[in-house]
Amino acid sequence: MSDSEQGQETEDVSQRQWPENGEQWSDGEDEADMDCGLQAMAEEDEEIDLHNDETFGMDLDANETTGEPRNGLLQFKEPPSPPPLCPPSPIPTSVSKPAAPPSSHCTSPPHRQRPHFLPQVPPGQRGRGRGKRGGLRGDQMFEDPAVMRIVEGRPSLKWMARSYRKTRGIPRSILQDNAIVCVIDGHGGRGHHMTSNFLGLPYPVSSFRGRRGAPRGPYNKRVFTPRGPSQMHTSMMPGSPILSRQPLTPRQHYNQTGAFPFPLSRPCPSTPQSLNPKMMQLRFGTNSPRPSPVYSPSSNPVQHLRYPGPVTQLHPQHKRLLSQKKHASQRKPQGWDPYCNLMTAKEKEWITRLQMIQLQTVSPYLEDYYYQEYYRRIEAKLAEEELGIRSKREPPKLTTPYITKTDSYTPVVHIEGSLGQVAVSTCYSPRRAISAVHAVQAQAPLEEQKDTRQQRLEVLSKIEKLFIVLLEVEEAERMKATAVGEAESRLKEKTQRKVENIYSQLKHHDPSDSGGEFLPFLLVSKGKRLVARLLLFLDRESALNILHVVTSNLPTLMSRDTDESLPVLYPPLRTVIGGLTFSQLIGVLKDLTTSESLTTYECLTLACQNKFGLSLLYALLSQGERLLSSGVPLEPSIGDFEAWTDTIFQVAGQLSQCSLVEPLLLPSNLLTLFCRYLDKRTVHQLKSNMESATGFLALMS
Amino acid sequence: MWLSLVGKDVVVELKNDLSICGTLHSVDQYLNIKLTDISVTDPEKYPHMLSVKNCFIRGSVVRYVQLPADEVDTQLLQDAARKEAMQQKQ
Repeated sequence: MSDSEQGQETEDVSQRQWPENGEQWSDGEDEADMDCGLQAMAEEDEEIDLHNDETFGMDLDANETTGEPRNGLLQFKEPPSPPPLCPPSPIPTSVSKPAAPPSSHCTSPPHRQRPHFLPQVPPGQRGRGRGKRGGLRGDQMFEDPAVMRIVEGRPSLKWMARSYRKTRGIPRSILQDNAIVCVIDGHGGRGHHMTSNFLGLPYPVSSFRGRRGAPRGPYNKRVFTPRGPSQMHTSMMPGSPILSRQPLTPRQHYNQTGAFPFPLSRPCPSTPQSLNPKMMQLRFGTNSPRPSPVYSPSSNPVQHLRYPGPVTQLHPQHKRLLSQKKHASQRKPQGWDPYCNLMTAKEKEWITRLQMIQLQTVSPYLEDYYYQEYYRRIEAKLAEEELGIRSKREPPKLTTPYITKTDSYTPVVHIEGSLGQVAVSTCYSPRRAISAVHAVQAQAPLEEQKDTRQQRLEVLSKIEKLFIVLLEVEEAERMKATAVGEAESRLKEKTQRKVENIYSQLKHHDPSDSGGEFLPFLLVSKGKRLVARLLLFLDRESALNILHVVTSNLPTLMSRDTDESLPVLYPPLRTVIGGLTFSQLIGVLKDLTTSESLTTYECLTLACQNKFGLSLLYALLSQGERLLSSGVPLEPSIGDFEAWTDTIFQVAGQLSQCSLVEPLLLPSNLLTLFCRYLDKRTVHQLKSNMESATGFLALMS
Repeated sequence: MWLSLVGKDVVVELKNDLSICGTLHSVDQYLNIKLTDISVTDPEKYPHMLSVKNCFIRGSVVRYVQLPADEVDTQLLQDAARKEAMQQKQ
């Protein structure tokens, strides 16, 4: 066996490519050894030693004087003499020859001493081939004075191999092992300049067999004393007769070293900080970033490292919000997360960059409409607030008129016309099985119901189609600012056509339908929203028409407004009302107060009970007052003023009597109006009534 | 829309009925969610989450994500969805 191994060794020596060498160390080999017994193992160890010696110039073994027994753990102390005493001449010869003479020379001490140490192999290490060898190894090393010297002066990968085989089963972080640290240092910390490092290393890594792939075991901490790189280099220099050997290609070198520092690339907090810079040098990929000092992302949850960095582009408003939050929350005590820096900041950034590349878009307005628009609106709102454009009188909740309902938890909510059950939080109660057929109301016959549903669906789908057109109109409106000259006029034309199209479609939905024009759409909340947004683009006449429809059908609208979406119509309608002439105003008021089925009184009562209705009423009155007090010639038709005063009285009577809801907006000139026509007492009553509804002292007397 | 919610507090209900409240850190194309500073909202029947500060939730196990109502403009969202539908058709 030894012959074959020697032969093999020759090959190894000549090739000097350590991956091949590594196969010598495979476990299969171990098993074979085990069969042959300890003696065979010893022999194999010998061969390994021999090869190592030749590679690293272990002729120093000649100086074997110290034979102090050790207790199985490697404990190296400073040898008194400086490193290698043996003459360099044997070394070159060992290079080319099978090195039988040196081997005998070198291994004779081990031979001699091995039997002494055989029994000392810890039983625990028998299970693994390596362990056995390791056990022998370590003891052997102690006996070998040359070994000690080498350790002292030239920490090398070879010693890694030996000590590695020796120590087993002690789970310790590789990073804590100074031996490894030393080796890394010995490579000069220059991961890319392997050739230069190699020259500095008297023990080329080609013989670093047993370290192939991921390093397996821990190293005894006491094996090596940490050395500064300079120290190692100088101490290595004397051994440089090795330099005559053919060096490894940088690639091979890199392969080996790349493999074993692999787990080192994660700096653990337990590692002394000083080691990090050195360890960072070895990288296993050209693009992977260098790790940075310890960073803990979890300590500051709002610290979105990804986002404010150069990689992500946020809307400036969003950025501002996030940074505000960050400042607010940074006062929290920062906790330490032991698993925090598995990825370095650069690595994270790298991945983030990759992801962001996928998100790049040339048309953010198209592909990320919501985000852009949302933050633009927030910005606009803030800007408005800052400039103080808003008049103080108008309460900010003009655009959010909804009454918040008290939340009652119902495990199963069913909305008419929806499929199955509406999603409600199920953490408080388990979900009920979705009923395939929900209870159908027995009131209306099936056909009629189908028809209603059908109609509703039709209306809804039409609204959706019109919405798309509306969105185009709005987009065009936005573009108007940028368009110039001819393009602008063309654009205007286009949008106008679209607007008209929508309008006509809304108007002439179905002549046979009840309620006439617009009504089916207005009954649906989506339709209301559509109309509200459309009103901004409509011309006077069309807008008036819509106002007329709304006021005429106010009772119907109010009664069928289940989800309280009428107020969405208020702002645009108010704008329309603001442009009414006196006669038109009277006309509208007449519409409001006259209805087929209801008396004026009832109409007004209903209006007062409804937020939207009341607000509309107020708006109309306010407009009238404005017109009257402005001094502009009103050009009233006959009977206008009478109608006007009539209405005033009726409304006043209503307002003072019934309980009022809080309007969306309370115009300031209402009391002035009432003062004009009514006595003080009534005015006071009105005032108190209105104030109690609104809850604030709004009106001047 | 998800991007605009980064940094806001959300409650994620999973298909296993576990509800986790936390600050939205990030979302990806599969709607995998990363939350920071989490806490289990309902009666903490799931004590194994006590020590967890941040978590990554695979998108496929999410049943709902409860968003803060005032941070989401539903009308805008509807418009965005319509636009997207329009684009897809083209």
